Amino acid sequence: MSSVSVVRKDFRGARRSRLLWAAAVVLGLIAALLAYVSGNAAGTSTETVQSLFQALTLIMSILLPVVALVASYLAIAGEREGGGIKFLLSLPNTRRDVFVGKLASRLAIVAAGIGFMYVAAISVALTRHGAFPAAVVFGTLLVTALYGATFVSVAVSMSAAAASKSRAIAGAFGSYFVLVILYVFPVIQIPSMVRWLHTTILGADPNPDLYNAVQYTSPYLAYRKATNLVLPTDMRQVIFGSSLPDDISYGSAAANTELPIYLQDEFSVAILAFWLVVPLLVGYWLFQRADLE
Amino acid sequence: MPSIETNGLTKRFGDVVAVEDLDLTIEEGEIFGFLGPNGAGKSTTINMLLDFIRPTEGSAELFGMDAQRRPEAIRERIGVLPEGYGFDDYLTGREYMEWTIESRGADDDPDELLDMVGISDDADRKAKGYSKGMQQRLAFGMALVDDPDLLILDEPSTGLDPNGIQQMRSLVRDRADDGTTVFFSSHILSEVEAVCDRVGVMNEGRLTALDTIENLRENAGGHSSIELACATPPSVDGLGDIEGVATVSVDGARLTAQCTDPAAKVDVVRRVDDRADVVDILAENTSLEELFNEYTGGGRDGDGTAPLAGDSGGDSGSTSGGSDSQEASV
Repeated sequence: MSSVSVVRKDFRGARRSRLLWAAAVVLGLIAALLAYVSGNAAGTSTETVQSLFQALTLIMSILLPVVALVASYLAIAGEREGGGIKFLLSLPNTRRDVFVGKLASRLAIVAAGIGFMYVAAISVALTRHGAFPAAVVFGTLLVTALYGATFVSVAVSMSAAAASKSRAIAGAFGSYFVLVILYVFPVIQIPSMVRWLHTTILGADPNPDLYNAVQYTSPYLAYRKATNLVLPTDMRQVIFGSSLPDDISYGSAAANTELPIYLQDEFSVAILAFWLVVPLLVGYWLFQRADLE
Repeated sequence: MPSIETNGLTKRFGDVVAVEDLDLTIEEGEIFGFLGPNGAGKSTTINMLLDFIRPTEGSAELFGMDAQRRPEAIRERIGVLPEGYGFDDYLTGREYMEWTIESRGADDDPDELLDMVGISDDADRKAKGYSKGMQQRLAFGMALVDDPDLLILDEPSTGLDPNGIQQMRSLVRDRADDGTTVFFSSHILSEVEAVCDRVGVMNEGRLTALDTIENLRENAGGHSSIELACATPPSVDGLGDIEGVATVSVDGARLTAQCTDPAAKVDVVRRVDDRADVVDILAENTSLEELFNEYTGGGRDGDGTAPLAGDSGGDSGSTSGGSDSQEASV
């Protein structure tokens, strides 16, 4: 029939998955707790709530990829190994229906998780601080949803390409490491690795913009910089200061626009779009050609 | 238009030839049995018909439509009991059935189908927790949804008890009587004999026989034997001259005659009864097991040299290999 048939079955199963419910509850609790403990800093209640949502994006930058990967990595590989795909494809469905249906349902599941979290955060913030900075709330919600979608896209695509659950698990772990962990922990810094490659191995002059650009390919950093687009200017974070002239201060509005275009905040949307679309194309291509045994 | 038609269908996995140059035509309304030992290439063939795997060479058409180009249109018209399926979701048997009906846009009554395959009492339990036989019943029931024009059943009796096999057989026959084409694979011979109009025997990726069971039996040159227990030791004079009798032997009061023509048995009985009182008769046709071994060279579990040796040009080894050996291992 269509991908609706795939979505229908996937939803019915997901609704009963204890793991998913547990994840949603944990997300909600984290958001509620965060909203509850915030507000001891000085400033108006609007500012408090704004910084609450900024803190929320910080947590999400690490946590949401985990949620999205866990919710999606078995989407297709699980059906392949478990044999459910035999039923899906014995009915009048095509492989495209399976791919699109699985993607749609996992996107919806992750979106529901984010929504759950936002409802919790908004409710506590409203009751405790009585402020609702709509631009920041919906702005971060939108950016966060996009960020979650990129990881669903990565996970579903790898799931489509993997012939077994174990490969799908390896893929999910690997992509979390390569796309997030590498940029979070200071021990292994991508820029210093690239700098070493560039100057020592290739013997070139240092080029900080290049190192920053390489680092910026990560959806993790793209997300953090994308939140700059929806937060007030003075709450800006993650600025590639290396190539800024000395007379421009770190937090100013000019700090963004003085950078090369590929290092500016706006470019993050292109990076997220890349991670949203390209894995899907590759995963779909591989899935179309696979022998499903 | 044939329901299934393959032309030179070939599948290689690396160096291993799973199916080689298969030409097969299944006419509308036929019940076709696809026989062969494990690993003969039956499931690979079925998976290519269903577009689960892609042929290396050749093509498969169902209802005149290419299996790879028109999978959706083909799936509209077929009911499938696939191999290696799994009920992995948190869904009950009834929900699986309902989902199948919804997805096909059919108007079947889920309870009626569940009842038909004998699992209505367990319909509200998670299908994941079913026994293998119950899962097989459910999967078979799902294949019947929307009264498909063609049923493709891969090892349908797997995990079923004799009662279940019986039920399934009669359901298959009912559907076939209504004009449904049935294509099913099996390594169980009796099942094929009981249901099929025509059989194809696969061995090591090749179709080694394609005919009705009767013709296969005839062409295989199988002997039928007759054993007569007599009151006194019979004389064998002249028995060997009867047309169609190959050998005669006597062991005490027991006479055994091997016949190349099954009809000769009656003559043997008449002739012997004239001379000594016959007290018991034991007649045997070539058993299907022997027939099967003849066409598959003893199969996977045969003498151990057959399965892997036939990498190249495995056509000769298959029919000659184990045909004379008496080690019926099935």
